[in-house]
Amino acid sequence: MVTDSRQKPEKRRGANRGRSPASNQARSYLDHHRKVAKDSAQRLWRSPVASMMAWMVMGVALALPVALLLLLGSLQGVSAGWENSARITAYLSLDVPVEQARELASEIDGDGRVLSVELVDRVQALAEFRVSSGLDDALDFLDDNPLPHTLLVTPEDSARSADGVQALVTFMEGMDAVERVQVDLGWLQRLNAITDILARAVWALALLLGAAVILVIGNTVRLSIENRRDEILVAKLVGGTDAFVRRPFLYTGAWFGLGGGVVAWVLIQVSLWWLNGPIERLASLYQSEFVIHGPGFDGALALIITAMVLGWLGAWVAVKRHLDDIEPGDIAGG
Amino acid sequence: MIEFRQVTKRYDSDHTALRQVNFHLDRGELAFLTGHSGAGKSTLLKLIMVMERPTAGEVIVGGQKLNSLPRRQIPYIRRHIGVVFQNHQLLFDRTVFDNVAMPLEVMGASPDDIGRRVRAALDKVGLLNKEKMNPMQLSGGEQQRVGIARAVVNKPPVLLADEPTGNLDPELSADIMHLFTEFSQVGVTVLIATHDIALIDQMNKRRLTLDHGRMIVGADAPLTGGVSGY
Repeated sequence: MVTDSRQKPEKRRGANRGRSPASNQARSYLDHHRKVAKDSAQRLWRSPVASMMAWMVMGVALALPVALLLLLGSLQGVSAGWENSARITAYLSLDVPVEQARELASEIDGDGRVLSVELVDRVQALAEFRVSSGLDDALDFLDDNPLPHTLLVTPEDSARSADGVQALVTFMEGMDAVERVQVDLGWLQRLNAITDILARAVWALALLLGAAVILVIGNTVRLSIENRRDEILVAKLVGGTDAFVRRPFLYTGAWFGLGGGVVAWVLIQVSLWWLNGPIERLASLYQSEFVIHGPGFDGALALIITAMVLGWLGAWVAVKRHLDDIEPGDIAGG
Repeated sequence: MIEFRQVTKRYDSDHTALRQVNFHLDRGELAFLTGHSGAGKSTLLKLIMVMERPTAGEVIVGGQKLNSLPRRQIPYIRRHIGVVFQNHQLLFDRTVFDNVAMPLEVMGASPDDIGRRVRAALDKVGLLNKEKMNPMQLSGGEQQRVGIARAVVNKPPVLLADEPTGNLDPELSADIMHLFTEFSQVGVTVLIATHDIALIDQMNKRRLTLDHGRMIVGADAPLTGGVSGY
């Protein structure tokens, strides 16, 4: 063997002859990556309890913010739906005659921000009220019709933002014949404000838990670095670059992330399935179509990829901090 | 191939491991490095491996000055230096084959290439039939030979050995020395640190002796840089 030691290996390659060195290099680089990735996965598989615990920790830490984000997304969907159906009700003064009310209606209709105006005649309104309220007899005792003419104004799509609606309200309040303008968006604005606060809180929580995930994986990978100390020493002795020594641990981190992401997804799906019955009942009490949407395929993919990136980052932190400490200086005796 | 010029290595302030060491080993030369415990043998080997850097002087391996070598270049130097340790430094979580394959793996050799070269190295040390075993199942002499196979599998121009026969009986030691001689005959520069005086006398090769960090036998005359010796 040593006799032909000076020969270039390429000369004897046989089956691989004809391949360019570059493509050979790339191929063995990819082969090496595949091997390291597989080996790291198998190592996790060989200590199933420890790996499972790391996955569970990661899964719980990831599931919590993701579930809250999903809830938040659904809440924002609700308020968006209500905003679209926003209508402005303008009550005219009681002394405004019906002709003037009609003029006013067509004047408002002419405004660019208004899609349509419906005039509810006070006589017609009383009749409707009589039917719907069941206060038929009580109303007979009244001398006058207590109801004013009412304009139901539907804004154009473009004016359906909070600001747009507010501008329309101000515009109509400025009219003499208009007694009062009412938009029942107060509760919606409050809901929006609450969801804004919630959104920030959830993101803060997500950041904290993401950092926790990185630290947990960092610590787990630190242990596996300690366990493979001899191997690292030998790899450094025989000329392994830092990248080579680092690689298995980075893959380990990514696999922890993959497992954690899958566990998080399962936890979310199970919780949704468990919660959906009561939520539907509650929503039906409010005559709402509210449902919490699951993450879907894209969401699940994003979750798992995020988890893998976090795992990889955690491994990177551990590797940066601990791998440099292992130097083969102390290997040879005195 | 290996050259030391006025090399001094000082640890901390009080302990000086090497003092102004000068020597030069040619391609294909085999030399023994001897001296009492703590004379600086290991330090000298570590300087060649760039595990340590000299406090003063120059260490040159294969024409490359190691003093100023950036840290990230160190792995590439080590690929040209095979090392055999007294305690083998084998990994017991993998087979003999995988142990020997490590230097090729770090170089990114292809699997075919690795298979062929590992088997050639194991054949050379007479352990081809044990490639699938765990090193733990092997005897001390066999483990040492696995270590040697690993050191030479990527055909380094320099081979260092730190007490390679330390735990072996004389017959096995002679076998191992015979292997080293064969490597030097095909152009590998071999430097063996050992206590085993009987073996050295028997081999009749160049000898470098350290005493309290000074090279008292086998050194080159200071500043001339030429080859002197036996």
